Amino acid sequence: GGCYLVSPLVPTLVPPYLLEEIPHWLIVYSKADQELDHKLRWNMFRLSELDCYSDMLTRLYKQELQLIVMKYERYRSALLQELERRRRAVTYHTHPNY
Amino acid sequence: SLTRQPEEVFDIICKLGEGSYGSVYKALHKESGQVLAIKQVPVDTDLQEIIKEISIMQQCDSPYVVKYYGSYFKNTDLWIVMEYCGAGSVSDIMRLRKKTLSEDEIATILIDTLKGLEYLHRRRKIHRDIKAGNILLNTEGHAKLADFGVAGQLTDTMAKRNTVIGTPFWMAPEVIQEIGYDCVADIWSLGITALEMAEGKPPYGDIHPMRAIFMIPTKPPPSFREPDQWSPEFIDFVSQCLVKNPDERATAEYLLTHEFIGNAKHPSILSTMIAEAREIRESQAFRNAQQNSNNAKTFGAGDGYNDATMKQRDAGTLVPTRDGTATAELVADLGTMVINEPDLATMKRHDTDPMDTNRPKYRPLFLEHFDKKQLGPTANGTLAADDRGAEAVPAGAGAGAGAGAGGAGAEAAALQRALLEEGNFEFLAFLSLGELEARMARLDAEMEADIEQLRARYETKRRPILDAIHLKRKRQQNF
Ligand SMILES: Nc1ncnc2c1ncn2[C@@H]1O[C@H](COP(=O)(O)OP(=O)(O)OP(=O)(O)O)[C@@H](O)[C@H]1O
Ligand SMILES: [Mg+2]
Repeated sequence: GGCYLVSPLVPTLVPPYLLEEIPHWLIVYSKADQELDHKLRWNMFRLSELDCYSDMLTRLYKQELQLIVMKYERYRSALLQELERRRRAVTYHTHPNY
Repeated sequence: SLTRQPEEVFDIICKLGEGSYGSVYKALHKESGQVLAIKQVPVDTDLQEIIKEISIMQQCDSPYVVKYYGSYFKNTDLWIVMEYCGAGSVSDIMRLRKKTLSEDEIATILIDTLKGLEYLHRRRKIHRDIKAGNILLNTEGHAKLADFGVAGQLTDTMAKRNTVIGTPFWMAPEVIQEIGYDCVADIWSLGITALEMAEGKPPYGDIHPMRAIFMIPTKPPPSFREPDQWSPEFIDFVSQCLVKNPDERATAEYLLTHEFIGNAKHPSILSTMIAEAREIRESQAFRNAQQNSNNAKTFGAGDGYNDATMKQRDAGTLVPTRDGTATAELVADLGTMVINEPDLATMKRHDTDPMDTNRPKYRPLFLEHFDKKQLGPTANGTLAADDRGAEAVPAGAGAGAGAGAGGAGAEAAALQRALLEEGNFEFLAFLSLGELEARMARLDAEMEADIEQLRARYETKRRPILDAIHLKRKRQQNF
């Protein structure tokens, strides 16, 4: 919930879904081609399990999100580095003209 | 009571503002004549959790926490009825006056804020959304915490539906990392809010939120841009809030004894600031009303001129915040953003690559690959490798702009994309300066496109699970 009511016995609150290991098949499902999605019969699961899988998808989503951001972070620094290199090259080359 | 239609109980007076989840209105409680604030949030139906949350909030009774009176469902909207704070939020006041706050003003606001946090934390409640936009002032200058619980609850439900990931700038590192957190997460946000009040925006406030999410846990704690402008006490206060390890971070109770807070002055010192903000608000409302009637009457050329001058005057330095109160300001904000976006002028200037004359002789394999392709029957045979690079589909933008080039162009794009994916940036050395700058300018948009694709995939993946959950809940209810 939004305002976590923390029991005095548990100093730090960890959302319960973070403690469970994500089943391999769910990871495969998250990445698989949509064509095959209809083969899974979600109705066979219990409500609590479904809630848990939904939360786990959120976790996978955030993990992939982080990978994307990190990829662009590397791309950005490579671009900046290259731009910096050019700028330095320009000042180096033009300097003798003055 | 939830049985009556809210519009029977309240008269909506005007709109106060807009946030990420909905709009806030000033309203009159018909029976008592009391002025209230009502937040209207569009939600889907199965959100009993929010109601539960609000009932917890209703139990809070402190002069430093905005009082919650109850909630109503109206069609697909949830109406949250709360205490009205006549001076608006601290971020409103900064935006209206286009002015950051002085140390004295900040200390005075922080003392009430800390008392509000102390109250909540004693009850083991975490606010989860401390920022200048959620610190409201009443007309006497007393500060109150708003949006306690609601924001967190909504973020959770939205995150489950993959729609929103909350604003990260104020979030403690441990909250972003999801390693579990407690009350001192609010203290980190308070430190960020202090910087926000002093500098007009939170640290990283002008970079892409997704980048901020990445930087907050990995970089050392942020601090003042210009430390010599601030007293050692204030700097120390902020640094005690912004301790990355939550176990070593100060508590609200402790910070109330801090020297910076001990020297805080009476709320009456805020009255000039509040009056000024009110005047600006009123004159804006007046101007809007006038403009609206002008627009209705004439379609004259004068309007365009007014628009332009207003845009220039309003191009302030504060972060444009989403606020629906003044259309003119919104237009102005949009104007500023457009002007500031990619700096077309600089890009143009560098279009002629100074490196062109002494381009390195060495060409990597992948460029030779393009050259061979170029001999084929496709596209424009006279294009230089560099130009094709410029035309190529930007990484992550999907089937976009340059894809029409077909043949060699498309392959070049695909190859560059693949190189980007595996973190091989060697090819950047062979792009023109203009192209490099253009790539830099589109970086955020490309990342956003990638993120959007990811979001869409997870939405489709989650859909059948949510459907199954929905079906089961319904069946449960029928028993
Ligand atoms: N109780 C209130 N009394 C007076 N004005 C209010 C009240 N609550 C909100 N407002 C006004 O409405 C604006 C929008 O509030 P809202 O909580 O929707 O958005 P926010 O705080 O800016 O962002 P977020 O959606 O992340 O909380 C505030 O900036 C403030 O001006
Ligand atoms: Mg708010």
